[in-house]
Amino acid sequence: MGINIGITGLHATDNPAPGIGVIRSLRHPAGWDGEIVGLAYDVMDTGVYDVGLLDHTYMVPYPNQSSDQIFDRLMYIHNQIRLDVIIPTLDSELPLYQKLEQQLKEAGVALFIPSKEISRKASKSYIAEFCAENDIPSPETFVVKEPGEMEKAISEIGFPLMVKGVFYEAYLCHTRSDALKNFEKMKLKWGLPVIIQQVINADEFDVCCVGDRDGNLLGAVPIRKTRITEKGKAWAAITLKNDELYKLSQKILKKLKWAGPCELEILKEQTTGIMHLIEINPRFPAWIYLCTGAEQNLPKLVVDLALGRNSKPLPPAKSGITFVRHATDLVCPIEWLENMTTLGELHY
Amino acid sequence: MADVFKSELTLSENGFLFDHNTGLTYTLNESGQFIFRKIEDGKQANEILELLLDEFNVDENTAHKDLDDFYRQLKETGLID
Repeated sequence: MGINIGITGLHATDNPAPGIGVIRSLRHPAGWDGEIVGLAYDVMDTGVYDVGLLDHTYMVPYPNQSSDQIFDRLMYIHNQIRLDVIIPTLDSELPLYQKLEQQLKEAGVALFIPSKEISRKASKSYIAEFCAENDIPSPETFVVKEPGEMEKAISEIGFPLMVKGVFYEAYLCHTRSDALKNFEKMKLKWGLPVIIQQVINADEFDVCCVGDRDGNLLGAVPIRKTRITEKGKAWAAITLKNDELYKLSQKILKKLKWAGPCELEILKEQTTGIMHLIEINPRFPAWIYLCTGAEQNLPKLVVDLALGRNSKPLPPAKSGITFVRHATDLVCPIEWLENMTTLGELHY
Repeated sequence: MADVFKSELTLSENGFLFDHNTGLTYTLNESGQFIFRKIEDGKQANEILELLLDEFNVDENTAHKDLDDFYRQLKETGLID
């Protein structure tokens, strides 16, 4: 009997969600022995219309809706198409799935995600504290919890500085007015706190990692983004063989006892060579299929971990593997749109 | 790979050089590829100069300058100390 997997994050336009790369990885290289179930938030989530990607799609309520309502919907799906594992792929879903983890487990649906306590340590608001406690270099950071603290943050950090939203987005600011304007923007869009961070003259690297909850790093693919969009999202990158990045990733995941996938954003200072941890994104990156291309299938590893299968560290990823993101048009019959709109589900 | 390089490097037949550690890539011309291969083989600068003179139709000053330029660029890009 195959394993059925529910996956979120199916929308891939200018800022793609990771779900599609996760599904392509599961299906790599010879298909998936089970059903792949898309959990869509919007009728127009683009992955829904990618022929051959999904076996079924169901609309689910947004993660900010009541967890009872979401649980009921997941149980409706579970009763129709048994869900063995769910892989959430969006930052904003983590608190919801942390809340539902036990209930889902009791219903026979497995997850492999970090606990609330651990993901809090790794969040933008607490990462500087985590780094300081564990002797991991990180840029000077001021977490602005109320507007009155902004002046103090500016004088402590100095210019240039980064103004970062608590969930997404970051702006480089060279002047006080710039910083105040972007602080207001981030506050309105994502709420408080807003993170003010020192700018370091450095090369940026990312590492996609999977931890086993006991402090072991089971998979790690370091990359350098070679082209980015205006929003800073990679549309081309190359995999690396870099021991320093590997050792730092190992240390971070060990200290956190991280469970499941994450993306580490690391800066290497050009003058000193010091590596700074700037962010931990608690999910797969949108470029996850690059890891699969580099011979580390991290989504399959997460499925094994969720199912409690014995999992060992994967052999090193291949360096020099490149990806480019390529936009294309998908066409589909009107019935697909009709089913998604009226029934909230689609069976291919 | 000679230890002289600070990173694992791969040079293709077309002169495309990839640094596995940083992800940076470079394109080497014919003489650059020649010098790179000789460094890789563990040859010293004075030996490479002789080999350059044997291989290419250049005078000693030009070969010397090319070799110095190449070593300078390797240093600037952090590929050697």
